[in-house]
Amino acid sequence: MAADGYSALHEFWLNLRAIPNHVYRAMFRGGPPKTDRTRSSFIFGNVFLHLHSVRTHLWSLRWSTTMGLGIMTTAAFLITLITGILLMFYYKPYPDVAYQSIKDIHFIVPTGRFMRNIHRWAANVMVIAVILHMARAFYTASYRKPREFNWFIGWGLLVTTLGLSFTGYLLPWDQLAYWAITIGANIAQSPREITDALGITAWADIGGLQREILLGSDKVGEEALIRFYLLHVMILPLALVMLMAVHFWRIRKDGGLAKPANADELVAEEAKEFYPVFTDVPTKTYHLAAVVKGKTAAVGSGPEHTVPSMPHLFYAELGVLMLTTLICVVLAFVSDAPLKELANPLVPENPAKAPWYFLGLQEIVSFSAFMGGIGIPMLCVIGLGLIPFLDREKEGTGEWFGGPGGWKLVKWSVVVGFAASIGVEAFAIYFGWLREWFPDIPQLFITFINPGTVLTAIYAAYSIWAVRKYNSTRAGALALFTCFLCGFIVLTVIGTYFRGPNWDFFWSPSDWGGH
Amino acid sequence: MTTHPSEKKSRFDPEPMPRRDFLGLAALGSMIAAFTLSIFGMLKLPKAAVSASPAKKFNVALPDTLPEGEAFVPPGRNVAVFRDGEGVFAISTVCTHLGCIVKTSSAGFDCPCHGSGFQKDGTVRKGPAPKPLPWLKVSKNGGVLTIDEEANVKTGTKV
Amino acid sequence: MNKNKYLLMVSSIGVFVLLAAAAVSENFMKDWHDIQGSAKTTEGPIDLRLRQIVNPQLKVTDRCVTCHVGMASGEQITTDQKVGAAHKPVAHSPTEIGCTTCHGGQGQATEKDDAHGNVHFWTEPMLPARYAYASCGTCHTPLNVPNLPTLENARKTFERLDCYACHRLDGRGGTLRPGGNVTGMEGPDLSHIGLKGYNAEWYVAHLQKSQQATDPAWKTSFREVNEADREELKIFLDTQMGAPKLIEAKAQFNSVGCAGCHTVGSFGGDAGVNLSLSGYKDPNQLNFTKVQGDHTLSNWIVQHFRSPASTVAGSQMPALGLSENQIDLLTLYTLSLRRRTLPDIFLPKDRVKAMRFGEREFASNGETIYTAVCSSCHGANGRGTRFPGLVPNPSITGPDFLQLASDDFLFQTIRNGRPSRPMLPWGDRVNGFKDDELRAVIAYIRGLGGDVQAQPDAKPQIWATGDAAVGATLFASNCSGCHGKNGAGADGPALANKVFLSSVSDTFLVETIRRGRSGTVMQGFGNPSPIRRELTQAEIESIVVFIRSLSAK
Repeated sequence: MAADGYSALHEFWLNLRAIPNHVYRAMFRGGPPKTDRTRSSFIFGNVFLHLHSVRTHLWSLRWSTTMGLGIMTTAAFLITLITGILLMFYYKPYPDVAYQSIKDIHFIVPTGRFMRNIHRWAANVMVIAVILHMARAFYTASYRKPREFNWFIGWGLLVTTLGLSFTGYLLPWDQLAYWAITIGANIAQSPREITDALGITAWADIGGLQREILLGSDKVGEEALIRFYLLHVMILPLALVMLMAVHFWRIRKDGGLAKPANADELVAEEAKEFYPVFTDVPTKTYHLAAVVKGKTAAVGSGPEHTVPSMPHLFYAELGVLMLTTLICVVLAFVSDAPLKELANPLVPENPAKAPWYFLGLQEIVSFSAFMGGIGIPMLCVIGLGLIPFLDREKEGTGEWFGGPGGWKLVKWSVVVGFAASIGVEAFAIYFGWLREWFPDIPQLFITFINPGTVLTAIYAAYSIWAVRKYNSTRAGALALFTCFLCGFIVLTVIGTYFRGPNWDFFWSPSDWGGH
Repeated sequence: MTTHPSEKKSRFDPEPMPRRDFLGLAALGSMIAAFTLSIFGMLKLPKAAVSASPAKKFNVALPDTLPEGEAFVPPGRNVAVFRDGEGVFAISTVCTHLGCIVKTSSAGFDCPCHGSGFQKDGTVRKGPAPKPLPWLKVSKNGGVLTIDEEANVKTGTKV
Repeated sequence: MNKNKYLLMVSSIGVFVLLAAAAVSENFMKDWHDIQGSAKTTEGPIDLRLRQIVNPQLKVTDRCVTCHVGMASGEQITTDQKVGAAHKPVAHSPTEIGCTTCHGGQGQATEKDDAHGNVHFWTEPMLPARYAYASCGTCHTPLNVPNLPTLENARKTFERLDCYACHRLDGRGGTLRPGGNVTGMEGPDLSHIGLKGYNAEWYVAHLQKSQQATDPAWKTSFREVNEADREELKIFLDTQMGAPKLIEAKAQFNSVGCAGCHTVGSFGGDAGVNLSLSGYKDPNQLNFTKVQGDHTLSNWIVQHFRSPASTVAGSQMPALGLSENQIDLLTLYTLSLRRRTLPDIFLPKDRVKAMRFGEREFASNGETIYTAVCSSCHGANGRGTRFPGLVPNPSITGPDFLQLASDDFLFQTIRNGRPSRPMLPWGDRVNGFKDDELRAVIAYIRGLGGDVQAQPDAKPQIWATGDAAVGATLFASNCSGCHGKNGAGADGPALANKVFLSSVSDTFLVETIRRGRSGTVMQGFGNPSPIRRELTQAEIESIVVFIRSLSAK
């Protein structure tokens, strides 16, 4: 029934004219986000934004708190996601054809080369950002109760990110890709070193099984390519997105970012600028969407020193998003993603190097395939995952280098971490190792006593010393994590810049010489 | 949204009218501009500058004993070549309706997909086809014919 | 809180500027835009777009014609422009087989350096223009090519007989006679006659035809050709495939004994590396420290011919003292060894013969076989060679040697070689020489030595008598310095060698020891020297008996 005396036809006309306006208003459930109230409803009424809390603590917005690394990782992922989907328009996952399709992307696809460059650089940015993000979470002791599980999820995200990057490495099907994956697959096979030494390979060939599942064949071929493609564009991105959803959800559920106990005082000066919403002690929390587990920063205390997430948090997030985009675009502009010769299974690259973030691994693999490729990495990965359950102290949560020992211990750990790794490497490079001295030594000796395990032992011993000196598990964790981070850097740098043909040591790639 | 620090504030005070935030608008505006530009770039991508298909122009040698009115279809090409008293001509066998490949028949050409029919000279006889089958440019170079699938000529042009 | 807004704004503006710059450089700053923009046809400017030649069977996607737009299918560029000019007429249409099939380079690329392959990570850069004929080797394998002097003689015969008057060959000749094409008097173009297979019987038909011809020009312009000249013509015409420079290069290869050490295709020695695909070497994998000029494969090959050992560390190949012109030809030939895997329908006849039927890739007359295979060791004149660091190679054309060595002995030696010595069994190997070819080589060797024939030897193969123990002592003091302990061979040939002992006669051994062998360090032991006394006939025979006993070991 037409109202206001208009004819129904006229009303239809008015409705037609008002469509843009109505659509705009229908988008925002509580009206356009203009006041604090409507902004709040804008956030919790929006499927993409509702993971954010309505108000954000000023501490969380400080650049020094997170350095935006989590958002940067997410942003880099979004960039790889978009550019990756675009690349899929042209990429053909079949040997040789794949290489030609990359060449086509490079030469005749409009914006293709740029997209591929961005994809490649965003992937690298993501790997770096996720490692730094982990370091940030560690050094601010943000993994502690109730955030233990989220550290776990973050650990899964790290592994998935590396997996994504690694599987993407094969897709161009050039020499770089082919031989890097050949090495990677053989690292997967390295448990054979143990099973061989024990003489049980015939019954329990774990290594061979891993390799075969990865490659689908006995060598890197079309089966491997299609598997890596599937992993790269389907399985791992899905896994990553799911883990990300849980990760973000848990940040919110675990009470936002970890803050020092005195965070409110620390931001008091900044808070004065902002309009107070809750000057009187509220009778209930502003958490409208969920009942939050007991002890969070917000429950039972005034949500003062917070600002509306809309727009302050979103400016920060968008700022980091665009900064990440800028970094990727700049890098894409100045440097083309590498594409070497077509993969040739008969002519190995010399040196054949894995992606840079696995070069530290390749360095210790050069001492023992099993310990380098499986043993020590597993130790690190399991150790990383268990940190929150081993360090259950309270002191220093939310502070940079918080906890007993603090910055001073970290400084010393950096020195020990660098000195030990460089020392062990230098020793092995100049003097060789057991097999050079005792040619007939059983493999099992070398598997367990090699520069990689020695370095691990030194780090472990130093960390135990730190635990005892400060009488704190956190001190041990600080020492161990720092040492391993330094070791990772040293080994990666050596693997990247100082290893040449036959994995010999060279001061500079210009000394490699011809073949 | 900032207020003067010295002001006495209470949540019972009316909310301040948000002032125009030029910096914020400029930031959001530049972000939207960057996004828009990137979307243009992305939209350009799906159309390759050149498609990887063989040249549409090809050479063909007609068999010496081709009866008048019988079509010769060069292998791998959607073209029917004819020879009669007046010369040689080529007709595309791609239906002008929805691109199925027509078959030669006693009446001319018939399309298997939606029943279009064409006369021997390619004009529409029946069915939904909107246009006659195009005649293609044929050039003679010695004993070799060059047919260009992309160049149409007027119906009835024979060389 | 404003710093986040600044961050957002500055980053966004940065992204915007870079995206705009990328858009400009991608859409307006490509080199081919300028080239196509200035190219014109009679109908005006051409449309700006990427052009390409695609041949799925040859796996060719060549976008070279985006810049070399005059070579694109159906483009007739009229502006005088180097890059956009049309291809000069060639046997194979570039619009069908593509550009990279012959020229190399990266067909998919659309930028100059990438397309020409002068970048890292492209293993097959373009062939330099001066070696362009090497590209024929991608598909073709010229057969029946003799050595350079023979080819040169044959070419001169072709010229001397004035064949160019009526016939066209590689763009030359065929224009001197009146009438021209109109009356059909001009002879056929012979540029590719070798590919079809030149039929020597044709001459008879040609003669008859000229007799029956009504046109006087036919009769007067055709002289009789004698048998020898017809042989020469056959040699010359058999090689013609439209690539004169490549044939010359291959003839050069057949003149300096390369096949004695190197295998090409299905035949050759094994002392050196197999050269079958040496035209496809990846410049990125080569050591250019000693090479002048650009890091191209051709420059590397040139330097390698000048000084093999300094270019390739550890190379055994001696410096052959080649002239620059020879090096140029050999480089061309080496570059032509780039036999690509082809679908069957693209395989040319010569390649099928060489690949499927194992036909040898050079002419099988005695002279060519000698120069192509034997001359690297025994020298062009058969007087032997000595390269530093390698075992000396004996002279085989000394009159004393040729008198003593029966044809059968030479035949067995060449056919079966000397096991464990550089001399390979040249008859007894894959695609080895057939008996009549071996006899032709022996005849040529005797010719080199001044036509010295073997002296008939009435004695049986083994006749010498004596005490092997005495022979052993004498051998140790006189012979083992060169021939090695117990004749195992050192600088001198190995005597404890089954093939040698089964074919050599006692007469040869006794006389060689007594008189020595000219052109080698083997002296005549029948005469005294300042440091030792002469050996008596009985002593020499006892040495021979001792040498014979070595075969039992």
